[in-house]
Amino acid sequence: MKVIAACEVRGLDRTDNQLKATLGEYLSKPPRRIDRLTLLALLVAAPLKEHLQADSGLYLAATYPARPNMFALLESVCAQQKLPKPFEFVNSVSNAAGFHVAQQLGMQGPNLFIGAGAQVWGQLLDLAGSDLERAQVRQALVVLIEENQLDGFIAYALVLENGGDTLTGRDFASLSGSVEAIRLNLGD
Amino acid sequence: MKPVYLQRAQLCSALSEDLQTAAAACRQGQLPQPEWFELHERSERRPYLKVAGASMDLRQRLQRLIDASTDGALDDCLLILASTTLDIASIEARVMAGEATGNQIAPALDALAEELRQQWGFAGAFTLNTACTSAANGLLYGARLVARNHYRRALVVAFETPSEVTRQGFGVLELTSPSAAYRPFHAERDGLILGESYASVMISREPGPAPLARLLGGFSACDTSSLTTTAEDGSHIDWVMRRALHSARTTTAKIGLVKLHGTATTANDEAESNGMRRTFPRALPPLCMLKPYLGHTLGACGLSETLLLMETLRQGALPGTDYADQALLPLPAQALTVPQRSLLLANYFGFGGNNASLVLQGIPT
Repeated sequence: MKVIAACEVRGLDRTDNQLKATLGEYLSKPPRRIDRLTLLALLVAAPLKEHLQADSGLYLAATYPARPNMFALLESVCAQQKLPKPFEFVNSVSNAAGFHVAQQLGMQGPNLFIGAGAQVWGQLLDLAGSDLERAQVRQALVVLIEENQLDGFIAYALVLENGGDTLTGRDFASLSGSVEAIRLNLGD
Repeated sequence: MKPVYLQRAQLCSALSEDLQTAAAACRQGQLPQPEWFELHERSERRPYLKVAGASMDLRQRLQRLIDASTDGALDDCLLILASTTLDIASIEARVMAGEATGNQIAPALDALAEELRQQWGFAGAFTLNTACTSAANGLLYGARLVARNHYRRALVVAFETPSEVTRQGFGVLELTSPSAAYRPFHAERDGLILGESYASVMISREPGPAPLARLLGGFSACDTSSLTTTAEDGSHIDWVMRRALHSARTTTAKIGLVKLHGTATTANDEAESNGMRRTFPRALPPLCMLKPYLGHTLGACGLSETLLLMETLRQGALPGTDYADQALLPLPAQALTVPQRSLLLANYFGFGGNNASLVLQGIPT
């Protein structure tokens, strides 16, 4: 398995509207009414579009769900005893982010979403590798989204193909070392 | 895919606290009785299928499942948690009690899997959430990782807790049945009934002392036509079923039974009917659906329905359908038996465009 392309996006104190404006530079018709997790997934995946074929799988991990969306649902349903807004409920399905990435980038293969912990890179590579090795897909897009209040967000993406040596790296820097990664720093 | 064995299966569902009793009830066509909840802002009630038996918190239930599905040290075993709700019920309870929402009440998605990994000594653990295909993907990718020697064993734990956000959300989308008559593929079906469920199974390359079934292959992919429904012409479902058969190195002619996803929503059942007629254009194999017996257990359905299917077939016949003459597909009117070694195809579809099919085989007792 080898890395053929990579992207890293960092940002601090970026509003959803600012992220949407940046996304518009990469996608001609970005989806509407999407949550922050989807925005971040699209932001890091979209610059890699030209490297991806239709026969690709997506393996997405995040430390948290889209928390603002989750809090809005909890407020309306549990605190105010109201019905949720349909789009907020649909977005709360964690693989909504994966769906939008696959739709925007024309990916037709498997689409998995996992929680990101200490072993996340190994898990993403295992899942993607099991599909690549068995020729279920020709390429794999591996995405990791980390976000917290103090440090903002960092989103990573790698495009993988069969071939090359076993990938032993377990962080973005070592995994992407063989290619020139696209880096977007959205600052604060 | 190299076949793997499913062992030490556990299921706590609306039918019973244990899998064997649930399968016995299913064989006899005993439907569980729902409780009712009210949709906010509407004077409308909707049914819900809670698990049978005493109430228990999530961690107690997970402890029981892991204890019953494992033996000895687990340092060769991967844990996969498959769920759409995780521990949302406890968060909802805190908000209902007046706690403000904020990052302090939102644990990391990995938190529960990591807690269990440390407590039980699993070699690795992760949470998998692909909506209603979560557990089916847990089985499929757990099997692949075991087959590729990444781990000697993989434990899939799938559960769906009673979440108010989920119940109200499905209600606002007009997907839940007002009548509580859960009738997948009925011409006048009126939606699904959500169900609570906790299930576990060990995946291993060896059969072990009491294997329930073999998992021979499967396939999962994303239909990008819509976030909430799959292509109504059934083309994507057809493609996924064919890829699943290819993965198991078998053909449509060898399939002895198809366990349908069958949510009883208008769009899903129409798409699945069309998909079935594409994949099996000459003659449909025997068909069954199990959601009337468990409810739609969402992220857990890939495991809860697989286990109920295999155990019911091990015990005898699947129940007939009392509205078979009004169904979109030729569901059996009478009790249905299939040879114990038959190849079975099990369908699971979900939000986010996720469609999955598994190829299974029973093991003669």
